[in-house]
Amino acid sequence: MAGFLLLGFSSAIAQKTSVYSGVVTNDKGETLPGATVIVKGTTVGSTTDLNGKFVFNYEKANATLVVSFIGSETQELQAVGGVPVNVSLKFAAVNLSEVVVVGYGTQKKSVVTGSIASVKAADLENLPVPRLEDALKGRTSGVTVASSSGMPGAASTISIRGVTSINGSSPLYVVDGVPVYEGSIDFLNQSDIESIEVLKDAASAAIYGTQAAAGVILVTTKKGKAGDMQVNYSGYYGVQNREKKINLCNATEYATLRNEASLLGGGGILFPNPQALDTGTDWQDVIFSQNAPVMNHEFSISGGKDKSTYYASFGYFGQQGIVAPSITNFNRYTVRLNSTHQVKKWLNFGNNISYSHTKSQSGTSANDYYGGLLASAINLDPITPLVITDLDVLAQEPYASHLQSIVRDADGNAYGISKYVGQEMTNPEAYIKTQEGNFGWGDNIVGNVFFEVMPVKGLTLRSSLGGKMSYWGHESYSPIYFLSNTNSNLDHNSFQRELAKALDWTFTNTATYTRLFGDHNVTLLLGTEGQDRSGGNGIGVTYIGIPVNNFDQANMNYSLTADNRPGWGYDYQPYRLSSIFGRLNYEYKEKYLFTGILRRDGSSHFGSNNVFGLFPSASFGWIASNEDFWPKNDIVNLLKLRFGYGVNGNDNLPAFRYTSTIGSIGGYVFGNDQIYTGYGPQAPANPDLRWEQTSQLNFGIDATLFKYFGFVLEFFKKNTKDMLLTVKLPGYVGASGSPYGNIASMENKGVEAELTYRRTFDKLNLNLKGNMAYIKNKITDIGVNDFLVNATMIASTYEVSRKVVGQPINVFYGFVTDGVFQTQDEINAYVNSEGKKIQPDAVPGDFKWKDTDGDGSITDKDRDYTGNPIPPLTYGLTANVGYGPFDLLVFAQGVYGNKIFQQLRRLDILTANYMNEALGRWTGPGTSNDYPRLLDGANNNFTRPSDFYLEDGAYFRIKTLQVGYALPKKLAKQIGMENARIYVSGNNLFTMTKYTGYDPEIGGGQGIFSIDRGVYPQARSFMCGVNVTF
Amino acid sequence: MKTKYILIFLLVAGVTSLFSSCKKSFLEVEPIGLELESNYYNTPEQVFNGLVAAYSNMSSETDYGINWYANKLAPLNAAADECYAGGGGESDMASYQVWDNYTLTAADGPQSKFWDMDYSGIYRCNLMLQKLQNDIPGLGTDLKNRYIAECKALRAYYYFELIRLFKNIPLFTDPVPTDAIYDQVQAKPEDVFALIEKDLKEAEPVLPPTVPSTENGRLTKGAAQAMLGKVILWQNNTARMLEAADWFNKVNTSGIYQLLANYPDIFSPAYKYNKESILEIGHSGSQQAWWGTGDYRGNIYSTMVGPRSYSAGPGADSDHTYYSGWSFNPIIKSFATSIHDDPRYKYTVADLDSLKKLGQADYMPGYKNTGLFIQKYAPLLKWKAAVGEPVLNWPNNVIEIRLADTYLMEAEALVRGGGSTARAQALLDAVRDRVKLPSKPATLDNIYEERRLELATEGHRWFDLVRTGKAATVLAFKGFVAGKHELLPIPLNDLNNTKLVQNPLY
Repeated sequence: MAGFLLLGFSSAIAQKTSVYSGVVTNDKGETLPGATVIVKGTTVGSTTDLNGKFVFNYEKANATLVVSFIGSETQELQAVGGVPVNVSLKFAAVNLSEVVVVGYGTQKKSVVTGSIASVKAADLENLPVPRLEDALKGRTSGVTVASSSGMPGAASTISIRGVTSINGSSPLYVVDGVPVYEGSIDFLNQSDIESIEVLKDAASAAIYGTQAAAGVILVTTKKGKAGDMQVNYSGYYGVQNREKKINLCNATEYATLRNEASLLGGGGILFPNPQALDTGTDWQDVIFSQNAPVMNHEFSISGGKDKSTYYASFGYFGQQGIVAPSITNFNRYTVRLNSTHQVKKWLNFGNNISYSHTKSQSGTSANDYYGGLLASAINLDPITPLVITDLDVLAQEPYASHLQSIVRDADGNAYGISKYVGQEMTNPEAYIKTQEGNFGWGDNIVGNVFFEVMPVKGLTLRSSLGGKMSYWGHESYSPIYFLSNTNSNLDHNSFQRELAKALDWTFTNTATYTRLFGDHNVTLLLGTEGQDRSGGNGIGVTYIGIPVNNFDQANMNYSLTADNRPGWGYDYQPYRLSSIFGRLNYEYKEKYLFTGILRRDGSSHFGSNNVFGLFPSASFGWIASNEDFWPKNDIVNLLKLRFGYGVNGNDNLPAFRYTSTIGSIGGYVFGNDQIYTGYGPQAPANPDLRWEQTSQLNFGIDATLFKYFGFVLEFFKKNTKDMLLTVKLPGYVGASGSPYGNIASMENKGVEAELTYRRTFDKLNLNLKGNMAYIKNKITDIGVNDFLVNATMIASTYEVSRKVVGQPINVFYGFVTDGVFQTQDEINAYVNSEGKKIQPDAVPGDFKWKDTDGDGSITDKDRDYTGNPIPPLTYGLTANVGYGPFDLLVFAQGVYGNKIFQQLRRLDILTANYMNEALGRWTGPGTSNDYPRLLDGANNNFTRPSDFYLEDGAYFRIKTLQVGYALPKKLAKQIGMENARIYVSGNNLFTMTKYTGYDPEIGGGQGIFSIDRGVYPQARSFMCGVNVTF
Repeated sequence: MKTKYILIFLLVAGVTSLFSSCKKSFLEVEPIGLELESNYYNTPEQVFNGLVAAYSNMSSETDYGINWYANKLAPLNAAADECYAGGGGESDMASYQVWDNYTLTAADGPQSKFWDMDYSGIYRCNLMLQKLQNDIPGLGTDLKNRYIAECKALRAYYYFELIRLFKNIPLFTDPVPTDAIYDQVQAKPEDVFALIEKDLKEAEPVLPPTVPSTENGRLTKGAAQAMLGKVILWQNNTARMLEAADWFNKVNTSGIYQLLANYPDIFSPAYKYNKESILEIGHSGSQQAWWGTGDYRGNIYSTMVGPRSYSAGPGADSDHTYYSGWSFNPIIKSFATSIHDDPRYKYTVADLDSLKKLGQADYMPGYKNTGLFIQKYAPLLKWKAAVGEPVLNWPNNVIEIRLADTYLMEAEALVRGGGSTARAQALLDAVRDRVKLPSKPATLDNIYEERRLELATEGHRWFDLVRTGKAATVLAFKGFVAGKHELLPIPLNDLNNTKLVQNPLY
């Protein structure tokens, strides 16, 4: 079907020679660039271009062509001049034909010297996941993807080769050559993705010197292929449910525990008859929905003639959350048009343009104990009923005085308000009703236009102007409501709208020159790039007290006095980057490989002393198995060694931190109601701020063993120094804000391994992949500070975790328990060297704290390092099994070695509900040695951060299990289709973990990584899907 | 082929021009809407803005979630024998609760907020004093000198608060240099007192005796004199008592101030900056603040002390019709009982339980509810802001020093320093006579008792108990430990990585 080519030219060429042309593909029909085609017994021939095409002249009318490609079986065929041929090459287990995107160009994978992981469309097509990051999870070693929450549309936390820097480890995304900044990758419809390349080591990433320190993710979208028009539809529909429920106390158990705590604390019985309360309200059942739908539909059309190709797609993705879907959901519409045109033989022109519209509701916090639905469901007492039907109760406070503002269900019944648990905790169903009018939206136009000029053979000049034009905003409507004494809006409704826009642009110019000097293959790239991310601004306004009762009716066509429509606005501070860069690739007979990169970046974030940073790298490769001396054998079919070193940079800090800026820092009232705004320095200046630098050493081995096994092993050592951090100054400095400094250093050392097995037995097609990474992270320097505080406890200012030299980043830090005192004798016996009691104030049932510093008493200094929040070991397993028309995909991934700080219960709300573990609390000698007594009153059993809260974070999860059936080609054709496949798929079907919270995957930034404050869990989903091509 | 060369030329030209645009100039960008410190403090307006920032720390209504909603009254009242912390539960505003029950630790308590707010104020004063040494075009010498005097008096105010609460504090008269941040040590208390007195003495002659009404809240000569007296009195040096009395006397006899005839008017938003007020912290009911807008200038303390889930009943008068609050600082029963027969009782204590019995009120009991609430700063419905979130926009000012206070302090200083007993008696009588109470001998005990009655819940009690050495006895029921709880612990954050030493027994 593939169309060709260049026939028109042949008649014009001198008659003495014949034109040999054709297309080389692999056994899947994918075109192969860089394949060698020669006339047998001669040196006449050519290599295939990016589209797998070759064309050359030969004097004879008939020839035997020898077609070869690294990793393939060489094929010979008879050809007649002027008649194009199709050549399909057969491959051994590991496909080395791939071309990988390396930044500002492509490279044959076989000669790559850095560490680049590549995920192709074929791997993604059958994976029903909503976001790009999800597609990478578990796919490739050393790329850790942790869901920050199961909230629809939520971004995952992605880190490449560990946490690169204290100030952020988000990799740089580059889509079709356009840098796209963190958090904004959700415009991408991942059905449009042709390939994702992850530049893991510094030697590869150095070409993106700026902000490449945490690695680079290159996304290439699909392009049309010359040939008949292809119409493709793919879609799936699924339902989602919660995977598990937390074991919370029911009303009777809650009342029993509260009574006990009150009595022990010197209070009275709170609930005279706990049994009468029965099981009470299960707030988890209230917030979790059943069978929340998720769906995706995509149409694409692609095709073209040899000189012009196009790819157009229209996609829709919709997902409702498993928690309160009426306020947590995500919808995305995408349109894409990619096209390339060969205007002249020496001139190409093209564009990649996408438009997306997203609308989302995130009506609850994803991992926050200050309210939100999950925190409320976990902490609310089970005694309060969901709705109040008893009129006597309604005649009492707090209902009686708020009859107009209490929230009611569809039948007009008031939602229950807890008498026991207050602060931010509210009846979740009532809370949902107050949030339904809130949503956020975004419109993004992302793309580039480029043209390429090939003035002389081997030289390509390319100019690309890319950008991202974004519009986004939110609307929110707050009705009049009374949720509790601390959560109410009693006087006026309010309707708020905010609009923002930003334009980022990137102008890239490159010159690439490729030439073969004998056996020396050289490619040189030179380029410049300018980026501007200054053009953002936003405005918003709130309308207070509009005459409507419902968010549906809220609008801004009411005339209000100026006082009742306060507004605001803001402009982004300017931010610009300018760069020049060069890269030299050298290859000798596919044996000796070298890549050298030099990039100089300038950033407006630094003062004039340190504007520019220079980022060099060099990497070497040796394909030992291509050596003449390498014996032909069936054990090691391929062996390649790689070694590289490079330096990357990071300018991740707000604008103008090198100087001291004046801002509004607090006002004061003079006279009657005259409010003046005070101005002063926002933070102490640091004029010597300079680029943060990450250097990385990489050593890798690629091998093909026994024909069918592929094996990759990599070692790396990554050092980050001069990290750009804010410094929490002592309060006595009196600064309004914290300054930035180049203060800390960190080291990541690791091993990554990947093993693949690919083999076809008759009808059975096996493709198994496994990967694993072990990363050891350590902070090596933290400046003048002894440590930096990370998250703090809610009931005290003790930190939960800190950054400290010699420990992994954000290591958990707290007191260490050594069981529970069972008797007074045990307390009396717990003495120091002077015979004094170590815990003189303890009472049986209290924790016995370890005196880790041995000073004979329990003080702040007895806190110790109690666990690593970031899993050092991560792994993924994928099995693709095809049998005739059936296919099976199993994808599993897991982590090992981390701890989770489980703080679901609000410690500062004594009356908060308990997890079932509390039923096993200490109530007398011998009752418990790990859960202390409960009491209302001063004691530090619970308010101290300690190993009591730490749980094993290891898990193994079957992410995807999928069974598909492809209609046999003949049958498909009869009903007018090229291909047709249907499948059923399950996500998150099974998780093996000891963790007691909802979900052991707790991403969401370093500050709360593996700290569970009620994380929105991921859904278990079942889907069925169709993929048809016409 | 011609087009080819034209295009190549254009491309090459484009690339070259970009190379040139990649020069440094492309990266030299100007901040939008942000002044640089190096260019600031150059106009009279900018200097005034800096002065406002220096004042700003006298009241510290900050944003939601920082656990510091209101001014310092809430923790100070919770710490004294007047009130409990109260609130919604045992650990609602834990930093107040642990001062209420004296379980303070370096990590838990209100200390970091006092510390941070006061040091922030000191930094702003130090910076202003540095900048005011420059020649500022358009700023007249008199005004400049007044600004300098105000900054010195403010610096003294902040240091006085710190030294009373922490005693052992680092002392700076310039912004701390970046490279010396972690090298600072605590100063000798006497050096701190010396600076406070020096600052006030230098400011006092320059500050205006009175200010126009639009400048109400700005520091005056009388405020500096009263502060000087307080600072000397605090040091408990009998030899200097007459010196203190002399400063109070300057205020009390200046003719500028007089006792208001009607006691409750002192606290009413209708009588802001009244004749009795010497140093007053301003709040506004017209900021139109909403949750999240930040830098609240309304008085959130009023919300804090309001009864929970309040509703008015028939017959409630406007001085006893409230707006729902958060039930902090319930007044301790024994304290209320001990002042019950005083005419000032009903203006000090809002007896919600009595109102409830009369059917004039209903409310939901908060933590440690006593049925008795603070009346002086109560959120009365009649003062509710018309626009904005009501709980953030109470207009009630807080008077830090008023004439009755300086009368009683002069009397105290005279008695302790062996000064004129007649004068002391006249001063005490004046305070009592205002509320129609008969004369009582001007003994030290009677003066202290009068302070307790006159100034109840105004944030003086805890300091009075500490400076008179009565705290350990009076506050024993709350867990006060002598030798420890006279001071707050140095905040944990300021012990981390620094050379500061924790206060004794913490």
